[in-house]
Amino acid sequence: MKGSEELVRRLPNDIGGISAGPIQRTDHELEPWEKRCHALADVIDFHKILNTEEKRKGVEALGSEIVGRLSYYERWIVAFSNILFQKRILTPRELAEKMDEVAARDRG
Amino acid sequence: MSTQDTEHEHDRDHDHAHDEITAGDGIGYYETMEIAVRELLVSKGFIKPEEIRRQLEVLDSRTPALGARVVARAWLDDEFRARLLENGRKACEELGISFYDDTQLIVLENTDKVHNLIVCTLCSCYPRPVLGLPPDWYKNKPYRARAISEPRKVLAEFGTFIPNDVDVRVSDSTAMIRYLVLPRRPEGTETYNEDQLASLVTRDSMIGVVAAGVADPRTVK
Amino acid sequence: MAINPVPIDAGIIRGVILASGEAPLFSPSDRVEILARSPVGHYRVPMYLRGKFGVVHSIVEPSAVDNEEEGYGRNAGSKRHYYRVSFLMSEVWARYAGSPRDELRIEVFETWLVRARA
Repeated sequence: MKGSEELVRRLPNDIGGISAGPIQRTDHELEPWEKRCHALADVIDFHKILNTEEKRKGVEALGSEIVGRLSYYERWIVAFSNILFQKRILTPRELAEKMDEVAARDRG
Repeated sequence: MSTQDTEHEHDRDHDHAHDEITAGDGIGYYETMEIAVRELLVSKGFIKPEEIRRQLEVLDSRTPALGARVVARAWLDDEFRARLLENGRKACEELGISFYDDTQLIVLENTDKVHNLIVCTLCSCYPRPVLGLPPDWYKNKPYRARAISEPRKVLAEFGTFIPNDVDVRVSDSTAMIRYLVLPRRPEGTETYNEDQLASLVTRDSMIGVVAAGVADPRTVK
Repeated sequence: MAINPVPIDAGIIRGVILASGEAPLFSPSDRVEILARSPVGHYRVPMYLRGKFGVVHSIVEPSAVDNEEEGYGRNAGSKRHYYRVSFLMSEVWARYAGSPRDELRIEVFETWLVRARA
């Protein structure tokens, strides 16, 4: 399909020089889970379970739609899950079951 | 779907996701994922809970106040400034600022001839060990797309006007080097001590979008 | 058993062979061209730079792992040098509207660079 190769040639994060609107001077206090997500990234990097470059590649591999719609730390945690599956450190089933357990616990 | 769509339509970079998660309805999908991943890694012995707690403390201890101290010291001490410009990381380490993330630091000195600005067009590289976590706008599309191609317009949006006889230099991070801008010391501060000087140095002046001594009109939303 | 002395020339030992990739290929002030290749998947050279001409500002020491390979996992990637390369904005952006002396500087891994012809 004509034009689709641009999606492959250009990574969704490679945006230097594209046209964009005014800078919204937004900043927000990180949610506790976002901070924990950042701490998790640092700790798994220290342990060489998953390095920063692998994380960047993992976020890129989510593709332009997910990269466009998920927020910064949402992208990270999904990318981590995918990479950990690839490395056979976690399985999708384990994560799904644990997520159900966490959600049920939260509902109390 | 054309590339135009991917660039514009689904842009959630404003991070309004937090407003949309219904308050009081319990934890969201991604938080659930974060908790689950962390608990699984702990139960399998890959990480320990105290390591996460410790890293949260590390992150909380890294704020723009550290960078402000580095800048103030450089303004007062010419030899420190020379060491800082020679090897940014080593000079920061002299002040007790460790670089836990294996990055190097290049400090970019603003002068009457050169104005420096930093960006990471590909992701969000930022001198976290010495400035803490970056603001949303630094990580979002408009800044990353435009700071590299129209820096003077971007600076103007921040209220910073650089005359044509001053060169603008934009540093884009792609690998292991991080940058910190050493802003110009404001006029009229000859009698200031280090604490007073440090109070003039804002995070945004160390990114290079504003001069030191200029109050940030908008901070945390 | 005596060790034969090594030849010394102006204080430097002669005859030490460097491993492949050990010595930087480029020096500060070399004019370089960023290759125009288009990798599928992970890359760290933005598209805005492909095929552009710049000048080496400095060599990043020590040599380090290719971050494009590093993304593929633990212990992945060969070590060569990165270079801090300087580009004129007017060289990179067709309609650049600022000063003709404005520049951008960026780190580029050695395998993305070739010496620019004059």
